[in-house]
Amino acid sequence: MRIIRRIFFCLTAGASAVLAADDLLEEVDQALTVSAAHDDVRARLSGSLELEGYEFPRPAPGLIDSAGHELFNPRLVLFLDTQVGGHVYAFAQARVDRGFDPASDALRMRLDEYALRLTPGTSGHFNVQVGKFATAVGNWVPRHGAWDNPFVGAPLLYENPTGIWDAEPAPSRNVLLQWAHVRPGLPARITAVEKYLRIPIIWGPSYTTGLAVSGALDRFRYALEVKNAALSSRPDTWNDLGDDWRHPTFSGRLGYAPDERWNLGLSASTGTYLRPEAAPLPAPGRGFGDYREEVLGQDVSFAWHHLQVWTELYEVRFSNPAVGHAGTFAYYTEVKYKLTPQLSGAVRWNQQVFGTIPDATGATGWGRDVWRIDLAPGYRFTAHTQLKLQYSLLHDDGGPRVYTHTLASQFVLRF
Amino acid sequence: MNPLRLLLVLACSSGLLHAQAVIEGHVPLPKSRTAPVMNKRYEIVAKGGVLSTNPPLAVVYLEGSFPAPAAIPVAQMVQKDLTFVPSLLPVQVGTKVEFPNLDDTYHNIFSYSAAKRFDLGRYRPDEKPVPSQVFDVAGLVTLHCDIHEHMRALILVLATPYFVMTDTEGNFRLSGLPAGRYTLKAWIDSKTTLERPVELKGDGTLQVDFP
Repeated sequence: MRIIRRIFFCLTAGASAVLAADDLLEEVDQALTVSAAHDDVRARLSGSLELEGYEFPRPAPGLIDSAGHELFNPRLVLFLDTQVGGHVYAFAQARVDRGFDPASDALRMRLDEYALRLTPGTSGHFNVQVGKFATAVGNWVPRHGAWDNPFVGAPLLYENPTGIWDAEPAPSRNVLLQWAHVRPGLPARITAVEKYLRIPIIWGPSYTTGLAVSGALDRFRYALEVKNAALSSRPDTWNDLGDDWRHPTFSGRLGYAPDERWNLGLSASTGTYLRPEAAPLPAPGRGFGDYREEVLGQDVSFAWHHLQVWTELYEVRFSNPAVGHAGTFAYYTEVKYKLTPQLSGAVRWNQQVFGTIPDATGATGWGRDVWRIDLAPGYRFTAHTQLKLQYSLLHDDGGPRVYTHTLASQFVLRF
Repeated sequence: MNPLRLLLVLACSSGLLHAQAVIEGHVPLPKSRTAPVMNKRYEIVAKGGVLSTNPPLAVVYLEGSFPAPAAIPVAQMVQKDLTFVPSLLPVQVGTKVEFPNLDDTYHNIFSYSAAKRFDLGRYRPDEKPVPSQVFDVAGLVTLHCDIHEHMRALILVLATPYFVMTDTEGNFRLSGLPAGRYTLKAWIDSKTTLERPVELKGDGTLQVDFP
């Protein structure tokens, strides 16, 4: 609890300073917006300072990369939004932190997103965007930023490593079951690092590189994108154009909003989950196209007054000629309610279940079914500062422990 | 009662025949603000992009001890084209301000200002009754939208019924004022309020230029 307590202490001591700084932050907001050509060209620099603390048992759960029991993860996020007339919009996001996922590495800077969007006409029927940007699949991306996310972390399906590796394909079913921790026998040489060889079904907001078209037709919305890497690809590969676009990933979402309260979506994606360096590894006669991640998703959101509800459900299949199709189903439901103008509470139920693959014993699940419940109170001190806490209880029958308790806190100052 | 006499009594009781002074003058206005940039990073439908900006205006008001209004005054601040209209609204303490949504999307107006903390939640264009708040403490209230982070507006809650907004040149005309000694104030921005003592007599017009 030391890190959580430290953040609390610092916030209590600094509460008055935070309140006093609010006027200053309003001025900073104005100062960081510039314009030219009679306001036709405008640019705004904004961002957030995020102080995160985690307490967890060893080994660290999810995608947290730390050998200890606790982790302090400061992050500076900078956004640049530029509008040129009514038809050209560009944005970029840079971060300084200890890793895309919470890690105990040294601070470093990354350019996570950059994109140019053209909007011909004024109807919004058609937009085209090129660059490196978050996926259009599902409904979590629009609230994945620290200010809008009611929780400190992502839903389970975005951070639960499966037994699939992207550095090499599993040569047999037995090896996949070892990689998935369903069977013992994992080679000792990789025990310490194997967690970081595994990939979830969707890795965070998937800031991959490519092109997207999107638009609205009455109450329908569509988005189609061609990107350089699969939804499950790791952040290291999101910039990677090493295979000259020979194996692009195609993704899309069709949305329908019967009114402002409801938003329903169907998503799909297909692309190879192997990273370009794994090219020599597929079995003879096989190519990257035989190692695909295929995703079918449904999402629903509802918002009315102080209540917001989101759900995403994904059926995902990883193909491997040596294994067959390894399928998994994952979903979550997230509810947020504003109890007072400044105090809110959120709860999220997550579950992931794995299908079976044939083996000598008949059929065996190729992963360990897990569920997790997340509870997160949040308090906004001002329009620029908020504190969130999160308690997560993870159930994993075959894991190093049946129940894993994780505490997290996050203080966000946005400007 | 003689109808003419009755009319005279009613007029006197409503103050219509009280001495009503006028103050005219000029206030230096702050320079125009840059139009905001809308965050559309994760909005796959990017309509528009040209946001209107209201020219800076000042609020001139007469500070003194005045009775509370007999009925609750009502004012409106609408959300249209993803901006607040008007972006600066002076009201008397006790005023109910309605926030109709004239856009085809949700808005979520909130304020954490000391003079008024509230959060209207997400509401639709056809929301009935129109979301509203009563502003019962004098002070400056900064409004935001929880969905559209570029949206900003101010409500200046005043303990006086005598206030007026300047025109875009900074000129003002405050009329219907009772005779007496008061302080005339000009609110220019959250950090700048100018003031002048004034003495109003009868029906005259007083010229007051700030600073």
